[in-house]
Amino acid sequence: MTTEPAALIHRFNAAQRLIHWAVGISFTVLFLTGLAFSYPSLFWLTNLLGGGPTARALHPWVGLVFSISMAATFSMWMREMSLDATDWHWLRAIRAYAQHQTADVPPAGKYNGGQKLFFWAQTVLGVVLLISGLALWFPNTVANVVPTASTLLASMRLVHYAATLAGGLLLTMHVYLGLFAFPGTARGMIDGKVTRAWATMHHSAWEPATDATRVPKDDDRR
Amino acid sequence: MSTLSIKRISATASPAPGIRSTPEYAKLVDISSCIGCKGCEVACKEWNDLKVEPTANFGSYQSHKDLSAHTWLLMRFDEVEMSGRVQWLIKKDACLHCEDPGCLSACPAPGAIVQYENGIVDINHEHCIGCQFCVTGCPFDIPRFDKETKKVYKCNMCVDRVEAGLEPACVKTCPTHAISWGSKEDMLSLAEHKVDLLKDRGFENPVTYNPAGVGGTHMMYVVPHGNHLADYRLPANPTASPLPLTGLGVLKRIGAYLLGVGVLSSLVHYLTIGPQAAEDLHPHDH
Repeated sequence: MTTEPAALIHRFNAAQRLIHWAVGISFTVLFLTGLAFSYPSLFWLTNLLGGGPTARALHPWVGLVFSISMAATFSMWMREMSLDATDWHWLRAIRAYAQHQTADVPPAGKYNGGQKLFFWAQTVLGVVLLISGLALWFPNTVANVVPTASTLLASMRLVHYAATLAGGLLLTMHVYLGLFAFPGTARGMIDGKVTRAWATMHHSAWEPATDATRVPKDDDRR
Repeated sequence: MSTLSIKRISATASPAPGIRSTPEYAKLVDISSCIGCKGCEVACKEWNDLKVEPTANFGSYQSHKDLSAHTWLLMRFDEVEMSGRVQWLIKKDACLHCEDPGCLSACPAPGAIVQYENGIVDINHEHCIGCQFCVTGCPFDIPRFDKETKKVYKCNMCVDRVEAGLEPACVKTCPTHAISWGSKEDMLSLAEHKVDLLKDRGFENPVTYNPAGVGGTHMMYVVPHGNHLADYRLPANPTASPLPLTGLGVLKRIGAYLLGVGVLSSLVHYLTIGPQAAEDLHPHDH
């Protein structure tokens, strides 16, 4: 059954996939150049963007691409990402999920509680990174407005780093789960499809997963 | 100046290469002997070939409103009231060349800011990435960013002259010997002497400005009214490591471990619990 084309379910439409990779690629570039600016031993990572001065000049512009992509992500997914009682149930069984004790994990809808929390955490971090990043991009403007600008700007460096660290840790988890821990997940972000078996295992309460006779339709592509 | 003389170097994990033992120099600015002729301002522009910037009268003897990437030395003229009398404060504003430079420790670009054995703090523009973190890190608000070159500039204590055994251009040109030049030790004792002279003349609070929060400076001042440092635009307690940046340093160490642990624990999960493909499960197992 799993080899039949009908066993595939549309999970993400083209717009969602494109915006996901815009976020993913821009964040990775920002994360790596950010590491370069934070750790002298990783300064060579600035070569990814053409060396120190060029990387410094491009980093905020890539940040702008990231922010816009994040805004698009937010508007596309926010309605589907509100947490309800089922999600908190699911989150309580997160250890069982990580240990593949599938029987102990409550059914999840199209997105599980972990994915929803990930979405909200990245949204908040995105806003924090944008605000602190803008301050560091235009320090002179900040200095013209705020009397104790150097303390504020130093604090913005701290905040920008802390948000990057949190985002980087979440990214590590996201990439590991999507690419390595659960084969078949990444395909949803490539051609937008997942197998019915995958959907049943991870999102058994998601409507296309529950209806075994249902053929994929266009409105699954939402 | 040669890398043999580099005592501190920005964003570099390995030790600085300096092995030369050269004397530590200092400039001493006796504010009470300054007549505000601005000769030092001109000498600085001339020696360093810095562009002359147009200015306008804004109600002060001061040449420009602020330091800039092309003006590394500015004589500031401030009229302030002290115990019922107007005082005309004239202060030479330029890099103080801190022993513990806040600009250098804030800099993320390897080798962009160096401190030489003789105490001079200099920017190596070929390594500067233009992030302006040094501007934020300086407790004296000295470095200035140039929008065209996208680099930061400040007084380099005429490092090329000093290397050749000469005094900085501002020292050379000062007609009243308000600026002295010599070993840090000699300048400290000269400062003490000048402070004593001011006390003899009836000044109540003359001080030597060589703030401990930045480990002392290689441009020191003799301040006639030491209880009015703010009026001279001199911070009373400047620090090279403000709280947010100290916090950032600690967090970076923790962050490095956390990121390592994050990647390693993913690997451990992969090797112990392992991946699970949906197709491996029996259809009715869940």
